[in-house]
Amino acid sequence: MADAIMKFGVEPWNFAELVEAFKQAPLYHLAFEVILVVFIIRLIFSKSYSIESTVKLTEAEREQLVQEWEPEPLVPPVDPNHPALHYKVITKQGNNKLVVDGKEGINVGTFNFLGMLGRKETEDAAIQTMRKYGVGTCGPRGFFGTMDVHLNFEEKMAKHMGVEEAILYSYGFSTIASAIPAYAKKGDLVFCDEGVSFAIQMGLLASRSKLKFFKHNNMADLERLLQEQAVEDKKNPKKAKVMRKFIVVEGLYVNHGTIVDVEKLIELKYKYKVRVFMDESMSFFVLGKTGRGVTEHAGVDITDIDLISVSMEAALGTMGGFCLGTRYVVDHQRLSGLGYCFSASLPPMLASAASMAVDITQKETDIFQKLRSNNEFIHVQLSGLPGYRLDGDPISPIKHLRLEETSGDWQKDQAFLEKIVVRALDEGVVLTVARYLEEEEAFLPPPSIRIAVNVTLTEDQLTKITSVIRILAAAVLREKSEGE
Amino acid sequence: MKLEKSPSSASLTNGDAADKPSTYHSWLHSRGVWFSYIVGVYGMHLFLLSLPFFSVSTVWTLTTVVHSVVTYFFFHHVKGSIWADSQGSERYQTQWEQIDNGEQFTSTRKLLTLVPVLLFFLASFYTKYGYYHFLINCAALLLGVVPKLPMFHGFRLFGINKY
Repeated sequence: MADAIMKFGVEPWNFAELVEAFKQAPLYHLAFEVILVVFIIRLIFSKSYSIESTVKLTEAEREQLVQEWEPEPLVPPVDPNHPALHYKVITKQGNNKLVVDGKEGINVGTFNFLGMLGRKETEDAAIQTMRKYGVGTCGPRGFFGTMDVHLNFEEKMAKHMGVEEAILYSYGFSTIASAIPAYAKKGDLVFCDEGVSFAIQMGLLASRSKLKFFKHNNMADLERLLQEQAVEDKKNPKKAKVMRKFIVVEGLYVNHGTIVDVEKLIELKYKYKVRVFMDESMSFFVLGKTGRGVTEHAGVDITDIDLISVSMEAALGTMGGFCLGTRYVVDHQRLSGLGYCFSASLPPMLASAASMAVDITQKETDIFQKLRSNNEFIHVQLSGLPGYRLDGDPISPIKHLRLEETSGDWQKDQAFLEKIVVRALDEGVVLTVARYLEEEEAFLPPPSIRIAVNVTLTEDQLTKITSVIRILAAAVLREKSEGE
Repeated sequence: MKLEKSPSSASLTNGDAADKPSTYHSWLHSRGVWFSYIVGVYGMHLFLLSLPFFSVSTVWTLTTVVHSVVTYFFFHHVKGSIWADSQGSERYQTQWEQIDNGEQFTSTRKLLTLVPVLLFFLASFYTKYGYYHFLINCAALLLGVVPKLPMFHGFRLFGINKY
């Protein structure tokens, strides 16, 4: 064996020599090896144990820990002026009036643009369906939750909007919040407007995609981002090949009242090869000659938008939401839309009410024109208030009355506007400030009074609303400057 | 949770994943893994022997050093899960800490601790107990064994590699 080793070894050596070396090994080395042998024996015979259970306390130590423990209050101390403690109680709702804290007023606080909520026809349709189907199965759509009402409504909406397929969700918020993460995943890139609603933000968060925000409604800024990305893609074509790119916008921005520039958006879409998702929760049944949303309003083909999501909680006046698109795109959500797969299906009566609302607009074709003229009337009346700025498009039913000069303190400005809201209720106008989860908004919009115009307002009511707001806004501003 | 404004990936905080113990290391118990590991170390040794310009004693010292450094990197430096997205508590745990869900002195852990010691014995023998070889082998031994001891479970020197 020694010969064999010698043949392959580089230096001349043999096994006997090694044994000889072992005999002459220095003492420190042998001592070290003895320690290691002891270590090995101990290691082999050590019993296994869980690392968490090693700390053993004596009775005295335990007693001391119990003594030292000071329980934290179950409810942390709360500021008595916290707005959540001073909620308003609505006791009656009818037509376009609300009774808030016992005072009746004209409702311009809720998104009931077409007055569908509180109409006899939609209520009757809902009740009729409830008598037939009950309140729903409590099962998700794919699991004993689908009823013919759902299928009929999906088909009806698809036909009405001129798209291949629609998919019905049971909650407006989760419609877009589920639709975005069904397509955009980790490693994808989303170009997103800074002014998007909270539901979209949550959808983006769940998608775990890379996000690039462009300035609110600024298509030039979007193009700049797209160009930057195009340069980057050229540098790294392998990565670009597997990365999906999306643009996420709202048709009518709920927090700003602005309308997206669809024509430019579609131009950019084809130029830079991006997919476009649009949330039409506010613009559906509001914009366009027959209420078909932003695409009709701008005169572009609806199929140019890859996915449209609509919440039925605004103009349609029920609950739930739906997505519209090609069959290829929409069907993907039936297995990947989390809100679709894992939420109980929409109660059939709500789908019926929405269906009835669609029918009503088919009959009363002038309803959108009337809404539009109401919007424009309010816009003209409230524009140019000294010290204030009215945000929003003239034809948008959502208007945000903001302070022209902010004090720099968001809460303080909000409290200032709240004063107008409280006094307006005494005058018979139900207003509201726009409320946000201030800590959690990505881009918190400046505080505002959010005016939601609806079609049922008569000329007298419109005049009353605008005059009340004008007088109070001026009065509160004057008091403030006097106080200083 | 809040969306990040900067153009970086929106990251979820630890909230959505249950803090379940990691199951990514069960493969260490599967059949033939121990054998493959020993064969792998031996294979590396043979490869180093086949290099023409190293003497036998150098090769043995090299074997202990390479073995210690490589296992240190994979067991005590790399954190989280190697196969999938890390979302649970294992994001902050090294691979060694995740083995057997942190249970100490299991058979897998015993084997992995024994190998560097046995390598040290062999290397000492084949380097004829030379002084410099002893120093290098000793360092490699400590690198291979000390981080595996229970008192160094969750230990981060100066907070390096903590997150």
